[in-house]
Amino acid sequence: MGTDRYAYLSRLRDVDPAPKIVLSFAILLGAVVLPSAAAGLFTLLSAFLLNVFSGGQKPRVVGHFLKIPLVFLLIGALTIVLRPLPQEAQAIWSGMLLGRWRWGITAEQLRLGLTVFCRAMGAVSAMYFLSLNTPMTDLATALRRLHVPKLFVELMELIYRFIFLLSDAARQIHIAQDSRLGYEGFRRSMHSMGALVSMVFLRALRRGDRVFAALESRGYTGSLDTLPKPYAPGRWLYALCPVLLAGQAVIFYWERRWLS
Amino acid sequence: MSRAIEAKGLTYTYEDGTKALSDISFSANAGEITGILGANGAGKSTLFLNLNGVLTPQGGEVRLNGEAVSYRRQDLPRLRRQVGVVFQDPDDQLFSADVYRDISFGAVNLGLEEAEVRRRVEEAMARTGVSELRHKPTHALSYGQKKRVAIAGVLVMEPSVMILDEPTAGLDPHGVSDILRLLRQLRDELRIAIILATHDMDIVPLYCDKVYLLSEGRMAEAGSPEELFAHPELLRENHLRLPRIAHLMEILSDRDGLSIDRGAATIGAARREILRLLREEH
Repeated sequence: MGTDRYAYLSRLRDVDPAPKIVLSFAILLGAVVLPSAAAGLFTLLSAFLLNVFSGGQKPRVVGHFLKIPLVFLLIGALTIVLRPLPQEAQAIWSGMLLGRWRWGITAEQLRLGLTVFCRAMGAVSAMYFLSLNTPMTDLATALRRLHVPKLFVELMELIYRFIFLLSDAARQIHIAQDSRLGYEGFRRSMHSMGALVSMVFLRALRRGDRVFAALESRGYTGSLDTLPKPYAPGRWLYALCPVLLAGQAVIFYWERRWLS
Repeated sequence: MSRAIEAKGLTYTYEDGTKALSDISFSANAGEITGILGANGAGKSTLFLNLNGVLTPQGGEVRLNGEAVSYRRQDLPRLRRQVGVVFQDPDDQLFSADVYRDISFGAVNLGLEEAEVRRRVEEAMARTGVSELRHKPTHALSYGQKKRVAIAGVLVMEPSVMILDEPTAGLDPHGVSDILRLLRQLRDELRIAIILATHDMDIVPLYCDKVYLLSEGRMAEAGSPEELFAHPELLRENHLRLPRIAHLMEILSDRDGLSIDRGAATIGAARREILRLLREEH
């Protein structure tokens, strides 16, 4: 499912999740806080290289995941770049909308749009460094160690485990209904979908009972404490944090000087 | 042969008044596989949950290694450590998406030190042949692999009795013999008592040292598989049947009047009987 499948193939799979979280959030913060397109691009590039060379992910795979937010970000940036303008404003390009409203692009807006776009792409790629190299279960282990409330983490883990089973059950019910023409026509589709949802709820409820009995028989006393397999410490990721943050800062100042 | 677990006059009634178990007496020895046969709804699962302390019997007594079991709340962890249950559907038992962490759960609950937990997890994984699966998420495993991981998750508590509910259900023929071979190996290497519920009659003569027939919450019959197969009517009354081979022997003896051993229930035993008959003819 999604990035998780690739996280299990990552070369950094056995590295302690904590430094991976710290590094991705550090460079994410850098990309978001510094108002600079170049720093965003620098983050994008370094996260990409980390994914490919340290994580061993194929460039095509990383590229594919980067394309997902691309459309949203492009549309978002476009609304910043292209705006209604007052009649007298200087513009790189402008035109009349329906002959009445003046719309166009100014240098200021272009720079702002570009900056927002690059910062967002940098931030997204920083998150991909985490999610393409850290399986969900390791993330939960790390959250627990970072003192996120236990109840929250346990729920997250159980949901992640059972969502596969429930979606499987839903798919089977759907096939069973569909094969008996349960989805011919709007009325019948609505009826079948309702039956499907209530069946999935019932099954989840029953499974919950059985899971609880199974947990009890293995000595469950109210908390799902387990021992993760031993991790490689991954201290070099911590060392990378100040290096990349310094890189972002240097590039930010360099862009400032070049623009002024 | 030491008695690992023994029940006397065990009774359990559900809250809605259904009598699930009445006056159940049975025992399982260390180093043996004990089969519990019974149709759906005969009370097998209820019996197992009683032995493991998830349910508390209303009457009778359970003895573990000769000692009476206490069902007081503070004594339950001790009971659950000794009596492990492998549930029918491994998806009910594996709660974690991480194989290693799921197996460690029981050992962590025993309050063991980290090094000891790790040693036990490694050993349980090696015994059940799932060491290579530690890098996979639970939902990527096959049904048979999940079953093995579930068994490892129970072995990690080092129980003296391991109960398996329908261990062969849902497996392909290859998976069935794999799991049963694993159980036989655990029986011989760890000398634990293995109790398995099944209605797959063909595996009974091959893998069970002793069998009980559970019928509507009562123990209807007990003995070696051969003794049980001597009463096919009792099996049929309980929605069970003879193993295919034993059925063939029954027909050859009853309808065709051959003087053949009706207790021959495995391919090996049947082969010996047929060869003996052929030799007598000549």
